[in-house]
Amino acid sequence: MKKFYVGVAIALVLTILAVLFVPGVDDFVEQTFQRYLGRAAR
Amino acid sequence: MKIFKNTVIVILCLLLIPATAISTAAVKQRFADGPNFVFSGGPLEAGELYAGAEPDWSFVNDIPTIEMQLMEPPTSRIIWTVEHNSKLYVWSGYMGTTVGQMWKQWPLQAEEDGRALMRINGIRYERQLNRIQSGPELVGITQAITAKYPSRTTSEAVESGDVWLFEATPRD
Repeated sequence: MKKFYVGVAIALVLTILAVLFVPGVDDFVEQTFQRYLGRAAR
Repeated sequence: MKIFKNTVIVILCLLLIPATAISTAAVKQRFADGPNFVFSGGPLEAGELYAGAEPDWSFVNDIPTIEMQLMEPPTSRIIWTVEHNSKLYVWSGYMGTTVGQMWKQWPLQAEEDGRALMRINGIRYERQLNRIQSGPELVGITQAITAKYPSRTTSEAVESGDVWLFEATPRD
């Protein structure tokens, strides 16, 4: 499990960096979230 | 029992990744000049501040969305808008659902302090949001909404509180 936790921690850091600095990733995240939110609100 | 516990931990950890992506994108947008899609943006800073006579708002019927910022809190979002009888309207749906009320905070904030700033075609307009809950004009406004958007907004939905409708009047 320790390796799993380390992997998750690395994935979280990479996720944050990607959303902050990779062009288009924040748009993708937001659009995907909007799709699910709209469905849930109905 | 240990397998069950580990499975729950793995699922929670995996859910943490999209949750982190969403949170990061939301925080990032708060520091931007204006909103993007669904997350609130920061204050609307770019663009000329309109001064002059009341505009002919009919041009907004050709614009799919506008950016709107409240003065308190100074956050902005993208919303639909419509003109009817030379008046400008904005609204929020899903207000009758739990998810909608959690998602849409601006109507509640606008009811407390209706001062708003709208950026349309790069020009910022100072407005005052006044909620409309009843009246004969509801039929015409909701017809204008459904003519412009794939929306099922009705005057009954406005009266029941499922849709919160605001007129954006000039600010004194």
